Amino acid sequence: MDELQDQQALLDLVKDLVHRLNPNTTTTQFAQSLKYATRILTSRMTPSIATDEAAMAESIKRSLVNEGNSSDALAFADLYTKFTSKSGFGSIKNKWAVLYLLKVVAEDRRAANKSDSRASSGLFASTVCGGLPVVFDEKSSGAKKTLDRSRSGSNGVLLVSKDSENLWEIAAREYVDLVREESEVSEGVLVRDVLYACQGIDGKYVKFDKNYDGYVLLDSVKVPRATRVMVRKVCELGWLFRKVRGHVSESMDRFPAEDVGTIGQAFCAALQDELSEYYKLLAVLEAQANNPIPMVSEAGNSGNYLSLRRLAVWFAEPVVKMRLMAVLVDSCKVLRGGAMAGAIHMHAQHGDPLVQEFMRCLLRRVCSPLFEVVRSWVLEGELDDIFGEFFILGQPVKAESLWREGYRLHDGMLPSFISQSLAQRILRTGKSINFLRVCCEDQGWAVAAEEAAAAVGTTTKRYGLGYGETDALEALIAEAAKRIDKHLMDVMYKQYKFKDHCLAIKRYLLLGQGDFVQYLMDIVGPELSEPANTISSFKLAGLLESAIRSSNAQYDDADILDRLKVKMMPHGTGDRGWDVFSLEYDARVPLNTVFTESVMGRYLRIFNFLWKFRRVEHSLIGAWKTMKPNRITSNFLTKQEGSIKFQFVSTLRRCQVLWVEMNHFVTNLQYYIMFEVLEVSWANFVDEMDSARDLDDLLAAHEKYLQSIVEKSLLGERSQTLCKTLFLLFDLILQFRSHADRLYEGVHELQARTAVSALSSRGRTKTRQKQNDDTSWGGGGRKALTKLAGEFLQTIGQDLENISKEYSSTLEGFIGQLPMQQHVDLKFLVFRLDFTEFYSRLRLGK
Amino acid sequence: MDPEAARTARESLDLAFHMSNILETGLDRHTLSILIALCEQGINPEALAAVVKELRREPPSKPVVP
Repeated sequence: MDELQDQQALLDLVKDLVHRLNPNTTTTQFAQSLKYATRILTSRMTPSIATDEAAMAESIKRSLVNEGNSSDALAFADLYTKFTSKSGFGSIKNKWAVLYLLKVVAEDRRAANKSDSRASSGLFASTVCGGLPVVFDEKSSGAKKTLDRSRSGSNGVLLVSKDSENLWEIAAREYVDLVREESEVSEGVLVRDVLYACQGIDGKYVKFDKNYDGYVLLDSVKVPRATRVMVRKVCELGWLFRKVRGHVSESMDRFPAEDVGTIGQAFCAALQDELSEYYKLLAVLEAQANNPIPMVSEAGNSGNYLSLRRLAVWFAEPVVKMRLMAVLVDSCKVLRGGAMAGAIHMHAQHGDPLVQEFMRCLLRRVCSPLFEVVRSWVLEGELDDIFGEFFILGQPVKAESLWREGYRLHDGMLPSFISQSLAQRILRTGKSINFLRVCCEDQGWAVAAEEAAAAVGTTTKRYGLGYGETDALEALIAEAAKRIDKHLMDVMYKQYKFKDHCLAIKRYLLLGQGDFVQYLMDIVGPELSEPANTISSFKLAGLLESAIRSSNAQYDDADILDRLKVKMMPHGTGDRGWDVFSLEYDARVPLNTVFTESVMGRYLRIFNFLWKFRRVEHSLIGAWKTMKPNRITSNFLTKQEGSIKFQFVSTLRRCQVLWVEMNHFVTNLQYYIMFEVLEVSWANFVDEMDSARDLDDLLAAHEKYLQSIVEKSLLGERSQTLCKTLFLLFDLILQFRSHADRLYEGVHELQARTAVSALSSRGRTKTRQKQNDDTSWGGGGRKALTKLAGEFLQTIGQDLENISKEYSSTLEGFIGQLPMQQHVDLKFLVFRLDFTEFYSRLRLGK
Repeated sequence: MDPEAARTARESLDLAFHMSNILETGLDRHTLSILIALCEQGINPEALAAVVKELRREPPSKPVVP
């Protein structure tokens, strides 16, 4: 019954309405109108749009604004607020319906009032009247579509008479409806999932797929392909983010194991900062995603503000940055220290200014520990490298090898923006400071360092320098290097008198001090003829002292003389003293960086050679002393007659000729060695010493000096055969000396015996030389004497002959080999020895 | 109806009438009240609007109903 009553009430209302709308109608018209109205009312029972009151009010407001009636819109808004606040009994419950009604009526009126009705409007007008929608089934979705279409159709009629833009609206609405129907999941949910994915968290539908190695939409979810592709594209950011964050957290975990290093940590810190920026962006986006903003169109996809497309646009810039970071993370996974900085620097060589800016900030932070280490190394000599990331490695060594081996460059850790030469300078500066501090016990370097820093403008405090300021770094290093090198040189020259020591070595070890050597040879000579194991070095030391005192060497500096010592080399059996004797110069710290063990060994070799040579020279001179024409020999000659005399004269002559030859050779060789080798090299070395700017230069100069001496005096590797020949010659000369001595001894003895036998009646004995006890010359008359003399002379003559032959052949061989040597000065030696081409012609003639 | 409810109803109607005037619907107060009553009953407002539109037209434009 209630229903019937309701129906009746409704009918009454409708009648009333019709009446009021068309007050001046006849009854039949009224009946018709009523029927019509009823038909319309029954045909549409359900509204076709969502019942959203606020949206409706908004859209009304908007349409008012669009017409330019903003004051109306404000008034309307005001009214609406009051309207909605009415609640309780007597208020309108279906407010939405009222609003919608008003809206549609207003629109219809507007449409009807438009005077520019198109031709189609009449046509459509007839259609709409004739073509009311058929009765439908509201339950089926197909009908829903029909309803939509019909609705749009009917609305389309109204709208077509407005503007052509509405075609777009229609199309958009249709598309939206299509999409909405095809997706199981709404876009808002997808957007939310994607946002989660971009933070590395799996969402409801978007999960990380290990096989595919990326974030994908689950296959079970039914979404259009376009959406799927879009989701995948946007989730690339999530993948990159995972990679970067993975690296950061991994490094943080590894840190206690001391594997990561300061530069690795700086890199992670920089990445963390970038990630925080990224998080901020994500937070803003998420806040936006939760605010729905109603759209203008009536289709009312009053979904979220953020769609996938909008997300893609927002993510464009972060994706670029994240991609960069991921690339860096990949390339730096296995690198450490300076190598990592170098690799990142290589990536920074990019044309895009955005990338460059980003990389510059990153690099600034990454390289700051590196630059700090450089600064402290260059200005203070401190190497504070726990993790082994710096490109200079230090190892604990003794003081004398500090310079050469204490520190070296590690190319693996050298970043690419520091060039090799700069790295060398850095190494040398720090080394100099350490050298000064350890070996020279000098503290003046701190002053020099401060001056250098002040000159460049940075302070000596921490973090004065940064990446990108390579110029400033270079300037600082240049200044520091200059000053500290100069300081080091000053210390070496003034405090430790480097030059003086070099000179002393030259004078003593290289036998430059002639008178000293002469005295030494005189004193020590007889000692050294003994077998090596009977000689005591103390005695030799005493002899050395006396030699020093009796020569000009005594006026030399006491410090230098202290360092000069005798050294007996390790000897085997059969060695004579000559073979094991040598002088030694004790170079203490810091000079033993220059005069190391190997360097002193080479000096020793040269000394031996020179000493041997001097000995030969000495013996030849000694032979000359006995060979001088003197009363005895001339007396000997006059007293004899016949063949003996002839033999005697010829032997003597041969001896003398041989002596002259040998002397010629020895003198020239001596001259060559003394002047052309030693003095010239020394002059060159002094020049280079003056122009040396740091210890490395000095070491190189000294090395060159020694090398040239060794080469030119035939001690080098290329002249080994020549050297052997030379020593052979020396031996021959020494043999000659002994023969000559024997000859003259014999002569003098014969003379003495003759004199004794001749003057025995006179009872005078003239003994000139010490007599050999084994010669039984006591008895025998003149005849026996002559015979003996003859035999003696013959033997001697034979020996001399042999020696002479050997000597000539060896000398020829020596001279023959000389031109084949590479060194240009040796050719001059040939010239000296053979300036009349006597020997070459002799050779050719054979 | 109690006076409170009556007042509310009256005020709501007034507001609606004002809104309708702003929108230039051309509806008078009485017609509006009927329409609101019909809406409250659950009638589709689209249908109502169609009715309004149709019946406002001049009678001569009404063709034969199929």
